[in-house]
Amino acid sequence: MAGEATVVRRKVTWMHVVSFALATAISYVLGVVSSLISPVLGAPGVSALYVAAAIYVPLGVWMGLWGALAGYISCFLLGLYPSGYTPIQSFIWSWCDFLEALIPALFFRLLKVDPDFTLRRPKYTKVFVPFIVVGTLLVLAGIVVQVFWGAAYGEPFVSFYRCAVYLGTALVAIGMVVGVLAGDPKTWLTYIFSGIILASVVSGLWGSATLTLYNLPPPLPSGLFVPVLIGWVVGDMIVLSTIGTALLVALTPAIKRTPIYVKGWLA
Amino acid sequence: MSSPVLSELAGVRVGRTRYQRLHVVTKLLVPLSISAALACARGLAATASLLAISAALNLVAGIPLRALKKYVAVVASITVFIALSFSLFTYVPGRVTLLELTILRVEAERGCVEWKLMVSDRSLEYMALFSMRIVTMILTATLLLGSVSDREVVWGLRGLGAPYALCMFVALLFRGISFFVSDFVTVRDAMQVRGVEIERGSLRERFSAYSRALVPLIMLMVRRSYEMSLALEARGLRLTSRFSGRYHAARAARLDFAVVAASLALPVLLCCGTSLGVVP
Repeated sequence: MAGEATVVRRKVTWMHVVSFALATAISYVLGVVSSLISPVLGAPGVSALYVAAAIYVPLGVWMGLWGALAGYISCFLLGLYPSGYTPIQSFIWSWCDFLEALIPALFFRLLKVDPDFTLRRPKYTKVFVPFIVVGTLLVLAGIVVQVFWGAAYGEPFVSFYRCAVYLGTALVAIGMVVGVLAGDPKTWLTYIFSGIILASVVSGLWGSATLTLYNLPPPLPSGLFVPVLIGWVVGDMIVLSTIGTALLVALTPAIKRTPIYVKGWLA
Repeated sequence: MSSPVLSELAGVRVGRTRYQRLHVVTKLLVPLSISAALACARGLAATASLLAISAALNLVAGIPLRALKKYVAVVASITVFIALSFSLFTYVPGRVTLLELTILRVEAERGCVEWKLMVSDRSLEYMALFSMRIVTMILTATLLLGSVSDREVVWGLRGLGAPYALCMFVALLFRGISFFVSDFVTVRDAMQVRGVEIERGSLRERFSAYSRALVPLIMLMVRRSYEMSLALEARGLRLTSRFSGRYHAARAARLDFAVVAASLALPVLLCCGTSLGVVP
């Protein structure tokens, strides 16, 4: 009827399933290559530059839950081969990559942000990276020092904690402001906060905790929790803020024109 | 018989033994049971026995031990870091202290923090336990991937009446790996022809060159997905289509039941033994 807006209900198509399968394969191969080239402290399957994250996190932005599932399944297979975790250990551990892709997908959809990675000031995308990475590293280091030593022993650990957290937060804030100036503020703010910082930290916490503290049984000793966590978070942040950002900038306009682009969760 | 996933991924030639002809459910259940048993194993003896069982099963499954050659470096590096963990990052006192060295001493407001290098009999025991656990894990994963093929998984899913979309996903996942590798070679050659130095140059340059290669690779993936989905739709296949699983229906033999019973008993016995204190 004239004047009535018709709402077209989008359905899951073969395009989604096929691209999900192929994306999982790509993430798996890149995960294997990354963990072999730059391992973190001998932790199998953990890489200081986990390039696969730069595939499934943008896929989470473009394809919603399909990207998160691609992250999960590729990580599960990576856990089995070549990392050598048992199926149960790998099942528990792999949720780290699911969460890593889910977080930006969740933020973009819940905040109803239409991803527009068009650059107004391209140089700013290179400038925000060191601020974000160093700032988050300082905040993490401060929290670790406070939890392990500051709470029990007091000074000088508490002072270090305060300095690290304040300085780190300031650097992250500067990085976010610089990033926001690169293009559409909503898109960049959402991506930097959820797709780079939060995704890396949550994924790192889950991943290193299930490797060292909570699993059936944990494959690594609990003493390696902090080194694995720091290596994981920093590595993921570098990859997401360089390769992940480059892929989102270069491919988002093209992907949005194809049927694999998902506006909701699955379709 | 189709080749197992391990052969597809790593080119390992797996022998056609009786184990390989077991039902796919049995072959999935055995590594799962060892995984469950490993979660119950707390002491050296239990972990060592699981290591022996998984190594023996690999041999029975016809998986050559040279397939584990690639893991030697992994195991060595993990063992080094496990050793570092129990000597540098975790303070594990034992009955006998073999080495004790204070690296850093910080006088704090409420006491003194010491960072020590310490090797005791107990830390050595932990190192052995974790190292054996890692090797058992690797053997279990190898057993799983060396005995199950992608076709078996797909036929198994079809036999269970799984939707065609799921079966197609599993099949495409394994094929997608070889597609990606061949696409990567094409893109790399194209970049080299245009003067991009991918193999040479500093680490930063190589990292940046490989990163740039991801853009065409993802576009190739999108194009391939589009072509494949059109082909599937042109054949009238729906995501919810179901097909008969009778053409490749595998029957469980008596040996399957025996193996399933034994593998289910393993974690149960180990858990009971550990909780009763019979298994150290």
